[in-house]
Amino acid sequence: MTGRYDAIIIGGGHNGLVTAAYLARAGRKTLVLERRHVLGGAAVTEEIFPGFRFSVCSYVVSLLRPEIIRDLDLPRHGLEILPLDGTFTPMPDGDYLWRVNDHATTRREIARHSRRDAEAYEDYGRAMVDMGRFVKPMLEMTPPDPMSRDPRALVQLLSIGNRFRALSLQDQHTQVQLATMSAVDFLEQWFETDVLKATMAASGIIGTFLGVRSPGTAYVLLHHYMGEIDGAFRSWGLPRGGTGAISNAIAAAAREAGAEIHTDAPVAKVLLNKARAAGVVLENGDYVFADTIASSVDPRLTFLKMVGTEHLPDDFVEDVRRYKLRGSSGKVNLALDGLPDFTSLPGAGRHLRGAISISPSVDYMERAYDDAKYGAFSKRPYVDMVIPTLSDPSMAPPGKHVLSCFVQYAPYHLKAGNWDDERERFGDCVVDTVAEYAPNLKDLILHRQVLTPLDLEREFGLTEGNIFQGELTLEQLFFLRPVPGWARYRTPVRGLYLCGSATHPGGGIMGASGRNAAKRILKDWKLPGT
Amino acid sequence: MTLAVRGGSTVKAYDAIIIGGGHNGLVTACYLARAGVRTLVLERRDVVGGAAVTGELCPGFRCPTLAHAAGPLHPDLVRDLALHRHGVQLTQPDPRLFAPLPDGRGLVLHAWATRAAEAIAALSPRDAKRYVEFDACIAQIGDVLRDLLWRCPPSVDSPTPNDIWQLLKSGRRFRGLGRQNGFRLLRWLPMPVADLVSEWFEGNLLQAIIAARGIYGMNLGPRSAGSGAALLLQQALGQHVLASATSATGGLGAITAGLAAAARAAGAEIRTEAEVARVEVHQRAATGVTLSDGSHISARTVVSGADPKRTFLDLVDPADLDPSFVLAVQHYRTFGTVAKVNLALDDLPRFTALESASASERTAALGGRIHIGPDVDYLERAFDASKYGAYSEHPYLDVMIPTVTDPTLAPNGQHVMSICAQFAPFALRDTKWRTARTGLGDAIIRELTTYAPGLEDRILHRQVLTPADLETTYGLTGGHIFHGEHALDQLFTMRPVLGWAQYRTPIAGLYLCGAGTHPGGGVTGACGLNASREILKDLGKTR
Repeated sequence: MTGRYDAIIIGGGHNGLVTAAYLARAGRKTLVLERRHVLGGAAVTEEIFPGFRFSVCSYVVSLLRPEIIRDLDLPRHGLEILPLDGTFTPMPDGDYLWRVNDHATTRREIARHSRRDAEAYEDYGRAMVDMGRFVKPMLEMTPPDPMSRDPRALVQLLSIGNRFRALSLQDQHTQVQLATMSAVDFLEQWFETDVLKATMAASGIIGTFLGVRSPGTAYVLLHHYMGEIDGAFRSWGLPRGGTGAISNAIAAAAREAGAEIHTDAPVAKVLLNKARAAGVVLENGDYVFADTIASSVDPRLTFLKMVGTEHLPDDFVEDVRRYKLRGSSGKVNLALDGLPDFTSLPGAGRHLRGAISISPSVDYMERAYDDAKYGAFSKRPYVDMVIPTLSDPSMAPPGKHVLSCFVQYAPYHLKAGNWDDERERFGDCVVDTVAEYAPNLKDLILHRQVLTPLDLEREFGLTEGNIFQGELTLEQLFFLRPVPGWARYRTPVRGLYLCGSATHPGGGIMGASGRNAAKRILKDWKLPGT
Repeated sequence: MTLAVRGGSTVKAYDAIIIGGGHNGLVTACYLARAGVRTLVLERRDVVGGAAVTGELCPGFRCPTLAHAAGPLHPDLVRDLALHRHGVQLTQPDPRLFAPLPDGRGLVLHAWATRAAEAIAALSPRDAKRYVEFDACIAQIGDVLRDLLWRCPPSVDSPTPNDIWQLLKSGRRFRGLGRQNGFRLLRWLPMPVADLVSEWFEGNLLQAIIAARGIYGMNLGPRSAGSGAALLLQQALGQHVLASATSATGGLGAITAGLAAAARAAGAEIRTEAEVARVEVHQRAATGVTLSDGSHISARTVVSGADPKRTFLDLVDPADLDPSFVLAVQHYRTFGTVAKVNLALDDLPRFTALESASASERTAALGGRIHIGPDVDYLERAFDASKYGAYSEHPYLDVMIPTVTDPTLAPNGQHVMSICAQFAPFALRDTKWRTARTGLGDAIIRELTTYAPGLEDRILHRQVLTPADLETTYGLTGGHIFHGEHALDQLFTMRPVLGWAQYRTPIAGLYLCGAGTHPGGGVTGACGLNASREILKDLGKTR
């Protein structure tokens, strides 16, 4: 691969691959360099135990931009999304809450807990759809720089302002509340049922180091709701073959367009020539040259490790250092001999085909956060589970199953001990927690993989184990992501771009960052003198 | 101006009625009366002042019953109303803040940043340098916000040319901050104050002192996003990196007494023990009020100094309001977390952190605010309890000893101590405040005693005010000292409700002038001043 390229993409995660695909389609000689032996970054499928294949990190999909699916014709490249219907929340008192995509059924179910909430559920859904409509166009936008003297920036800001003013007063206020309120405060304006609030609020804290009662979490609610309003598929789904299948489909599209993709090719340094990107040095010492480098890894790795602070302005380095990457979640992947049996709703019913959420009450969720605030993993964590083998048997040997558990909170920085010693204790705590609702689980476990934030950092290059490459908090969003003044995918190093989740609009298997960055790069190529 | 009431028939004698004689209500009364509006102030309690009163704690001991420091008041206001002529002597203690640590160390901070830095240097030379930078930086940012505070927020649905002009001016001022501070403002507003202070300082105590301003009076912990906005609001109001310690000779009540005197001098009539039961509305226009004794008083302008919930959910008949407006008011968050303890002491408490200081230094150090909360985690833990409906066993305390600056409040050589304690959630989960009061008082004294041993033996009398008392006695809905949370979605054009932030209400002739309006709580008079301006505009009496 030595030689010269138009563009080099550092990291073969889904965003890096999206950027590569778009650049290659524009006829540019594009090279993707992935550190690991397998593509996909955090959207990866691996056979951890013989016969058992896991979506090791990211495990469901919903946010993937429909225009990317269209542009890259992903279905032709093997992308198939299987429905993931509903969310099942078992409760300690033997009751449960089971929401499905069919509104009538969900209405009846919620009415079991509260008639008032059943009414409100409809309104809430409608409100969120409207809110999503307002925010969605911003996902595809390169954030304007509010401090720049460029009139275009002001025009862009004004147009956002006008779109906002076009909303009804009610919607305007809801929009502000989404940006500033806590998930629970926000939901309490509609609902009274504790378990319903807890389960819905849960999507507001995923990947953040905040609690369901911390202001700012309402935004992540919307961020996760966004997927449910895309025409492509209206709710969360499981890619056939695991989330790695998404990355592979994008990679196939990129290759078809002429991109060159290499695994086991870790980048050590970004080469500079007169403060301008010139290429990269691999860890094996190889040099590859290109005037355009797009890094899909997070800013800390990109700038502090690969570029080097000596080549960067001090205040920029300071901003990169203070960029919040505090990982807060872990992952436990289980190979099972059969299906878990929940005391509150026994049997292998449809409720196992959706997401299974351990979020029995708002206080439960908040207490889980309190442990983490002071540097310990939650004694009783929030767990979000799926059993992909029910929709996609190919993931495990016949009759066997895989259970994927997303776990929060697991703070990257432990006050006492270190993750290498705590790993198995953490795993036990997760299994114990789930077993309280499905007692037969422990006897079913054939193999167990525990991923702590430290493992996410080591294995997948997610600094501090943050699954979104940086928290989705207001002060790190839009024109402040990743750092103030550098939200337009460019960096202080000319020719070096960011295209990962650390850029607007942020994490999740969405691909928007990669696509926006590609658009930016292609624009810049048209400009003279770049 | 006397009023004859027979069989409910009313004699029209006033142009404007102001509900509630709190400081904002009085400020509004002053400006209305000065403009020749026949104004009547109706106060439910036997004394005016609302939350800014000086009460008798026990025979011979007087102390600021609730608020113990002013916002401070806007200089224009002090000048306009010539408060000095009405017996108001403001006190500005310096050192401004004293923060002890359990291990006997501590900080005594003077108002002047470079002087404060000398003290900080003893704990951390790096922080000393950063403190001066921070002071300059937050002052600049605060000033940009500041001139939004003393003006009516723009109309969101139909901005007037003036609104747009003002917004452009604010926009220019914002850009005038330059890239670095401009982006700081944008980042800090939604940020948890804990992150903010850790970006600046390494010393736990200094971090906690600054962070505390972001949670003071709020239902937030330092790790809650939005506490950054609360900090900037406090900075903008107080124009100082440290909380204001401004008070008056005779306690904070002397300020409201002065305002009342100024209002009377301008021709306003003030009645105490006159509780308004209902605002009379005819065809969506205010026609007057009915008192709890059944008597009617008519006026075409009714101004409520009470908080938005009390005004729209209790005083006004919901039938006169649009349901969506009522819903918005119901969702307005007023969950109080502050309790107040007032002590009569037979001597000045001895803080171990001041043992090495000379007697005069020791006394001076206790003249300002005393901050109890050694580090950010301590403040966060104090908040944790309240999330589950319990009061903090180890609360964050904001203490003042007004007798240090004003000995007249207590018998010779004796003192009163005024303590604001967080967190004491308005709604307790397992018990009622009636039964929890003593326990709360004990926890607060216990905490204070670890810094000032022997304090409990000096207590002659103790008064404990729970959030429940703040609601019942002082009419603060939810016991919230700011008439509602200073949350980003409840500020500026959204305070109290988006679309109704211009002191007007859906009912013609009914106005708000209390802390539940922009710019919010604190003894500053800003709400009352802004409101009076809008009311006079509508009455065609713009100065």
